[in-house]
Amino acid sequence: MADLATAKPLQNEGKKPFWTETRRSRLTAYTFISPFFILFSIFGLYPIFFTIYLSFFKWDALGPMKFVGFRNYELITSDPTFWISFSNTLIMALMGTVPQLIMALFVAIMLNSALNKFKNTSRILFFMPNITSIVAVALVFSTMFGNNGMINWLLNTMGMESMAFNSGWWGVKIAISTMVMWRWMGYNAIIFLSGLQSIPTDIYEAAKIDGASRGQQMIYITLPLLRPFIIFVTLISTIGALQLFTEPYVFLGQSGTGSTRQEGVTMVTYLYSEAFRNGFFGTAAATAVMLFAFTIIFSVLNMMISSRMGGDTGGKKA
Amino acid sequence: MNRMKRMAVVLIAVLLVASLAACGGGGNKTTTNNGGNTPGASENGANEGATTDSGEKIELTFWSLGTTNYEELAKEYTEEHPNVTVKFQNTSDQTAHHNNLTTALSANSGAPDIFMLEIAFMERFINAQDKFHNLYDLGAKDIEGDYLEWKWKQATSLDGSFQLGLPTDIGPTVVYYRTDLVEQAGLPTDPDGFSAAIDTWDKFAAVAKQFKDKTGKPFADLTDLVYNGVRDQAADEIYFSRADGSFIGDTNPQVKKAYDFTVNGIQEGWIGNTLLWSPEWNKAINDGDFAVMLAPAWMAGTIRNAQDSAGKWAIAQLPEGAGNWGGSFLTLPKEGKHSKEAYEFISWLVNKENQLKSFKSKGLFPSIPAVYSEPSFTEDKDDFFSGQVISEAYAKSAERVKPVYYGPLHDQVDTMFKDALKNVLEKKADPAKEWENAIKQAKTLAERS
Repeated sequence: MADLATAKPLQNEGKKPFWTETRRSRLTAYTFISPFFILFSIFGLYPIFFTIYLSFFKWDALGPMKFVGFRNYELITSDPTFWISFSNTLIMALMGTVPQLIMALFVAIMLNSALNKFKNTSRILFFMPNITSIVAVALVFSTMFGNNGMINWLLNTMGMESMAFNSGWWGVKIAISTMVMWRWMGYNAIIFLSGLQSIPTDIYEAAKIDGASRGQQMIYITLPLLRPFIIFVTLISTIGALQLFTEPYVFLGQSGTGSTRQEGVTMVTYLYSEAFRNGFFGTAAATAVMLFAFTIIFSVLNMMISSRMGGDTGGKKA
Repeated sequence: MNRMKRMAVVLIAVLLVASLAACGGGGNKTTTNNGGNTPGASENGANEGATTDSGEKIELTFWSLGTTNYEELAKEYTEEHPNVTVKFQNTSDQTAHHNNLTTALSANSGAPDIFMLEIAFMERFINAQDKFHNLYDLGAKDIEGDYLEWKWKQATSLDGSFQLGLPTDIGPTVVYYRTDLVEQAGLPTDPDGFSAAIDTWDKFAAVAKQFKDKTGKPFADLTDLVYNGVRDQAADEIYFSRADGSFIGDTNPQVKKAYDFTVNGIQEGWIGNTLLWSPEWNKAINDGDFAVMLAPAWMAGTIRNAQDSAGKWAIAQLPEGAGNWGGSFLTLPKEGKHSKEAYEFISWLVNKENQLKSFKSKGLFPSIPAVYSEPSFTEDKDDFFSGQVISEAYAKSAERVKPVYYGPLHDQVDTMFKDALKNVLEKKADPAKEWENAIKQAKTLAERS
């Protein structure tokens, strides 16, 4: 006892007490931010790791899980439908995103220009599609793109032949890309708009004094200074496009079967039907892991390409 | 300011506790399960001034699907059995409804006492028998004889020892036809005459061609329903073998017959091109753009929505036998704690009198054949269907249905064949190649099970 009594003060002399003011305030801080991390690990991290784990098992969600090694990956990579879904996703990503971003940029410039008298109204108008329920959108579009729908009627009046928008290889993709474009253009335009407004007007004024035309202003001022926004928007759109699901699902699965035709099957609809229609949760998990890998690859590619764009000019802003 | 701060702290504390509770819920699966007994009691206690004998009061949870009159019937039941109340949760989205149960069963938590199971999802759950009560243990043998044999068998395990559910409604297939249009083509308009004119598939095709030549309109609305009509008459099995679950769609003659028959219809031009359930299809029904629709009893509701066509429809029998599309069962997941009371309730809910009530109020077609001879069932003339006694026409079809085994991937594989037919119709694809492709896809899918 005596030993302890003498030892304690000695230790205390060398070490600070455990609950110092900094530690205490740190604990408070971590406690305050912990809800996010707790929720994230339950609903974010855990599912991610469970998906990877699950991709090595055969499981119908009801019976016991059975370890099958890489069999699920073998099954999906040998399934032609999987590769069709992959190429469909890419094609629709290109068709729906590239023209959409260009249009969004023009819309943003238009909204930003001093000529536009109804700025707020038109901003709301362009943003509206984004908050409309996708299911409602898909239903309206499926009526428009029906065999005897409005689009075919237009094509006919222009002297062209009707297109099979719900079964044709390109027809399906055109219809779905149009839906995506309509829905996201306004959203991206708003982001571009905030970018445009961050560009100081005196740069333009200086350019005007130097005699730069509108086109020159666009190429040498607007685009380079917008670069961070362009990178952001392209990245978000790429990720979004790879996860394309509701539009094809509702547009093509409207016969109530919940399946999507091969012409419009995307990676996520493939994943969805593997899990929730066929009850093969293992192959669905493997698809998810593949999708994750593809998303990373394409995002990195995208970053590389879009950060090269405009060369050094981007650096000047900083 | 101080008050605000205190409020914020309390709020955050609540959030924290809530998130921790969420965390605990994931790990401890049995808590909610045990809870099943008590919450009912405490809720009742709150309502009726705290009675402590919780053994008396029973609350059954019931996940119902689509439009039924079960909630009203449950109220009647509570009047007779004051200790039993039924709490409903209704969904109209079939896929979501069954996925919810899958989730609950695999998590061992959250499944209801009574679950309404649609036939298309039967195979998924009949393979998970250990998650359900065997109704044979609860006395289902005694009432088995009341129901249509084929319907009962749909929910019986292959060895016949396990009964998963009690039959609710059925969907016997008939031929809905437009009397005004078939008259234009010089065909008999009365149900018996028209049924006789199309009583084999060959005759059906000949009549269809004749109709197309005379009126210029397609005879049937779309490929899917024509294909279903022939397919459903397969003997015993369709795409999958009853014995070992292997894929047999490529060798089953009835599947090939259904495919060829539909291809023939496409090539002869008497099959229309509308998409099932699309607005265009509804318009075509209303405008009389085609003459017949091969569809189950419950399709009458859709046809009735086409108001301009009132009085112009009638019902004939399908060539060469009938088929069935749809219909549900009431099952008791094992998680439910009141199996005895739940069974008593569901066996009452789908008894003869109540099936008649469900038919009268919501059109759920009875699976108890004794109902078909009830006067109030047969006296019902329907003006929409040119004054025909339609319940009789359905009953006739229901008694001709033969049981078939579907297999867990039936729906998925079926879609592949439907897509093939649509490609033949819309893209003028080669039918033989499309057939091969559908078979290949089906085999790829079957490999996984």
